[in-house]
Amino acid sequence: MKSTVSFGSLRGQLIYASAAILVVMTAFPFFWMVSTSFKPLKEIFVSPPYFFPKNFTLANFARLFEQTRFLTYFKNSIFVSSCAVLFTMILAAAGAYSLTRFKFYGREKIASLILFAYMFAPIMIVIPFYVLIRKLGLANTHFALILAYTAFCLPFSLWLLRSFFQSIPIDLEEAALTDGAGRFKAVIYIILPLAFPGIIATSIFTFILAWNDYIFVRILITSDELKTLSVGIADLYNATVIDWGMIMSGSMLITVPVLIFFIFVQRYLIAGWGAGAVKG
Amino acid sequence: MKFSENKTGYLLILPSILLIFALLVYPVTYGIWLSFFKKHSFFPEQRFVGFSNYIYIFTNSDFWQSVWYGTVYSVSTIVLQIIVGVFAALVVNESFRGRNFVRGVILFPYVIPTVVAIILWKWLLNNQFGLVNYLLVAVGIVDDPISWMGKDHIMTSLIIISVWEFFPFVVLSVLARMQSIPPVLYEAAKVDGATAFGRFFHVTLPQLRNVLFVVILLRSIWMFTKFDTVWLLSQGGGAEKYIRTLPVYAYMRTFMYYQAGLGSTLAVIMFGILVGFTAIYFKMFRREEGI
Repeated sequence: MKSTVSFGSLRGQLIYASAAILVVMTAFPFFWMVSTSFKPLKEIFVSPPYFFPKNFTLANFARLFEQTRFLTYFKNSIFVSSCAVLFTMILAAAGAYSLTRFKFYGREKIASLILFAYMFAPIMIVIPFYVLIRKLGLANTHFALILAYTAFCLPFSLWLLRSFFQSIPIDLEEAALTDGAGRFKAVIYIILPLAFPGIIATSIFTFILAWNDYIFVRILITSDELKTLSVGIADLYNATVIDWGMIMSGSMLITVPVLIFFIFVQRYLIAGWGAGAVKG
Repeated sequence: MKFSENKTGYLLILPSILLIFALLVYPVTYGIWLSFFKKHSFFPEQRFVGFSNYIYIFTNSDFWQSVWYGTVYSVSTIVLQIIVGVFAALVVNESFRGRNFVRGVILFPYVIPTVVAIILWKWLLNNQFGLVNYLLVAVGIVDDPISWMGKDHIMTSLIIISVWEFFPFVVLSVLARMQSIPPVLYEAAKVDGATAFGRFFHVTLPQLRNVLFVVILLRSIWMFTKFDTVWLLSQGGGAEKYIRTLPVYAYMRTFMYYQAGLGSTLAVIMFGILVGFTAIYFKMFRREEGI
């Protein structure tokens, strides 16, 4: 364990200064978003700008809810992302269990296929994907989005869960099996509780990926009432005159769920990445 | 434990494999097939045209322009992400008060929706009311506000925003590896009288070699195929032509000119460039010890 650097030494001061610069660099844009979203219109365009709102207002939020379909987009995002997480996790948990607990022909080939699929970027598949979805008559449905996210998140969820399962000692299961428990019981009572943190972390990464997506919604969804937040807010932004206060309040509301989830799983991130916790 | 239950093993992985094949591998294959057709994005009719899509693309100056912009964008953002990311990882690997807070905060840009990142920065870089221009003029660095979304500066803005959004990925990967460097190595270097810089170049960097190999590979693939950041920034500024990278060009061909055949051709070429790049990259840098 290294000792905490002291503020007295030059080295210590350099470290604290660098850390401060990094925090300002990354956090200031968020602070500015929050500050702008609580400012009345007059203060938003004032020069020199105020760092904090002088007359704190919720008018931007009121306009967002009254004049736009923000709530609908929000519900759609929650629905689509949750379904994607549910399907991905069922498939990935079963798959990862199989890859770590069974030896069968082609197992390593399957693992490399998954790693290969993990590197795919959306733009490489959206064009043929779109043509196929139209052929199937699924264009402009939430089902198409859920399919797309499940397929797209599956490789990295599998990869991540596989490493979580690998870290659970196989002896525990063997002991349960020799004690006469069936495999199903062994999974329910031994593996799942131990893998639970990994499953939660993987679910949250999947959720964030689906929640943040723009391109699949842009391409697959045309009706306004089916749009999710990313495209909804991007379209508000591109509509005629930009209402910065309203846009900022909307951006803030989209970001909040992600940041809450993120703070929750942050401690798994650094441990998990070794196996590909994040993508994009 | 006996691994005799092969069937169960296959059954459990089968649904995932089927889905990956049906929704990822098959579309990519179908895209290769489509690239030999003249195909409208909406209507079902299609006509086999052989290689003429490829010939059209390769003789089109817009294509070469987009390859150039894409290369400029990927190379500069990757280099900067690595520098900023390794620096940030070095800082948060030290023990200081508030370290966990700093570690959490610097990862924020990576987890927020790209749409939000772009809107935030468009507001900060707004030429009339943006804070950045206000500060630059107030401090006296420039005399007139900079038109960040204009044709001269939009690539710079795009690079700044992308580095801001994606450097946390480098921090995450590099930090995980840094934590596993045996402290003994640093102590030995100290005994030998190595300076802080010496220790970085002779101990830290060689230990990071493998993780940087993977990070650069993944970042190259993902920056070269980055669509949403580039596309969203280009909207509504009038200078979209100056950051039209290959993914944006493929998207426009398919969804604005409705040429799904040509769009697929571009996606296939993009894929080909990446495969070529990956092969060369592995040949040049992969060492015996493996990754």
